Amino acid sequence: MASALSDPDIVVRTEGLRKVYRSGFWMRPVVGLEGLDLEVRRGEVFGIVGPNGAGKTTTIKILTGLQRATQGMAWILGKPYDQPETRLRMGFLPERPYFYEHLSARELLDFYGRLFDMPGPRRARRIAELLERVDLVRFADVPLRKYSKGMVQRVGVCQAIIHEPDLVILDEPMSGLDPLGRALVRDVIMEERARGATVCFSSHILSDVQELSDRVAIIVRGKLRGIGSVHQLIGDRVRHVDLTYAGEVAVPGTELRSDDATRTVRLAPAQVDQAVAAVVHGGGRVLELSPVRDSLESVLLDEVERARPVDDKRLGVL
Amino acid sequence: MRIWALATNTFREAVRDRVLYSILFFAVGVLLLSVAVQELTIGDQAKVVRSVAQGAIDLFGSLIAMFLGISIVYKEIERKTAYTILSKPIARWRFVVGKYLGLVLTLAVEVAFLLLLYVLLMTFQQKFPPGIVFVSMGTLMLELLLLTAWATLFSTFSTPVTASAFTLAIFVIGHLADDIWLFGNQAESESLRQMARVLYWALPNFEVFSLRVEAVHELPIPWQRVGWAAAYGLAYTSAVLGLAVAIFRHRDLK
Repeated sequence: MASALSDPDIVVRTEGLRKVYRSGFWMRPVVGLEGLDLEVRRGEVFGIVGPNGAGKTTTIKILTGLQRATQGMAWILGKPYDQPETRLRMGFLPERPYFYEHLSARELLDFYGRLFDMPGPRRARRIAELLERVDLVRFADVPLRKYSKGMVQRVGVCQAIIHEPDLVILDEPMSGLDPLGRALVRDVIMEERARGATVCFSSHILSDVQELSDRVAIIVRGKLRGIGSVHQLIGDRVRHVDLTYAGEVAVPGTELRSDDATRTVRLAPAQVDQAVAAVVHGGGRVLELSPVRDSLESVLLDEVERARPVDDKRLGVL
Repeated sequence: MRIWALATNTFREAVRDRVLYSILFFAVGVLLLSVAVQELTIGDQAKVVRSVAQGAIDLFGSLIAMFLGISIVYKEIERKTAYTILSKPIARWRFVVGKYLGLVLTLAVEVAFLLLLYVLLMTFQQKFPPGIVFVSMGTLMLELLLLTAWATLFSTFSTPVTASAFTLAIFVIGHLADDIWLFGNQAESESLRQMARVLYWALPNFEVFSLRVEAVHELPIPWQRVGWAAAYGLAYTSAVLGLAVAIFRHRDLK
């Protein structure tokens, strides 16, 4: 363990992280996280995906010191997660952030800069840079209560990176944003990576995770179900083949669409030869064969399915 | 520096709250009314003005302390503003103490404002007030420090409604502490006597801080009592704040 902790290339490390909540009148235990082992490497963009209630936010809340682990340990930049000074080189944007509405963006960022002990001139320079970057200069002195949701999220991104941290943690940073807002967050993530920071983020928008992440962790029901690069997780496997043909021929498979002239069916890869032969021998014409490869979404859905207890499957509960 | 940043932000939030100004407006109203009251009074009119004015500063100071204190930590968790603060290099104790100091700063400014108004009123009406008036405001601040600490403690684990009930109970009991002691000594049952003594020592005694009689009658400053009030107030406040920190330290932010 000592070697791993002193390894400067490991920015986040968790070991057997477990979180049990107490819920309801009888304080029944509910397991939020079950023995999570993770490593996030320096300079990478690390995505965390999973369905609602999987444990993504719990993991992030433990890493950011908002909650304590029931068991296990985590280290941020080689230091224990539960020490306040550990968070000096870390920036965090919570899911649906709320800020002091009586403050303007400039006042708020100045306040957060002071919490990182940033000297006045550096704060002023950095605030000007960030407001310019997220296009809020015109609204810099307007109280946040007058901001739209997207504008608040932009301020949230600024406060997370105001001190140019080594590690940036973002919890659902694209949640509820319009395409422009999402593009801005994506750009900021890539800029932070280019600066040399490590970015760790969770998201429901799997296309963003797939596009941005160097490595991804899949968490389902509080357990780590997969970790690796997007390529490692998805592989090259062809999941289905969509066959579009013309002609009055019956081909086995799931029909996707049909009109007077053409029909498209989804086939398992093993059915393709047989289906093509059926079309040709029946006097029809094959118009298109499109392989459908695995995506992060299909891998995640598979993991959710695998993690379902037998009773849930029998009752048809997701 | 981080504690100071938290304290000044809390101060800024408080002074931008309109409810604070409503309470202050009433306080100023009562202070000005004290002049009108003297016209209806028989006897030492100057004393009546002083008594009403001192009482108004005391009451409205306590009201503001309770109003600001009862939601100070709860509001931060409920509105999730604490998330972006506690995920920074801010220890839980710094958060509680920083917020508390912000409230104390607000109260100090508010008491200073009312005192200034009182001094102006006295100077125009009668004469520049004697030193005991200023010392009595100092001991009032000690009382407000303790009351705010209790409100802060309650806000670490309960909603503002519950916290306001608890704080109000502490405020009332704290002003009846001497009566509880008296009742305990006169009770026939030994268990009642014991219970009254435990209550007396466990709960605060706000009468320790009251120099209103001395200020109204312009008596000499009782330095020994002031010293005792300062020691008692600061020690008790530290203990209550320590308890608030201990509770908040173990709270998970859901």
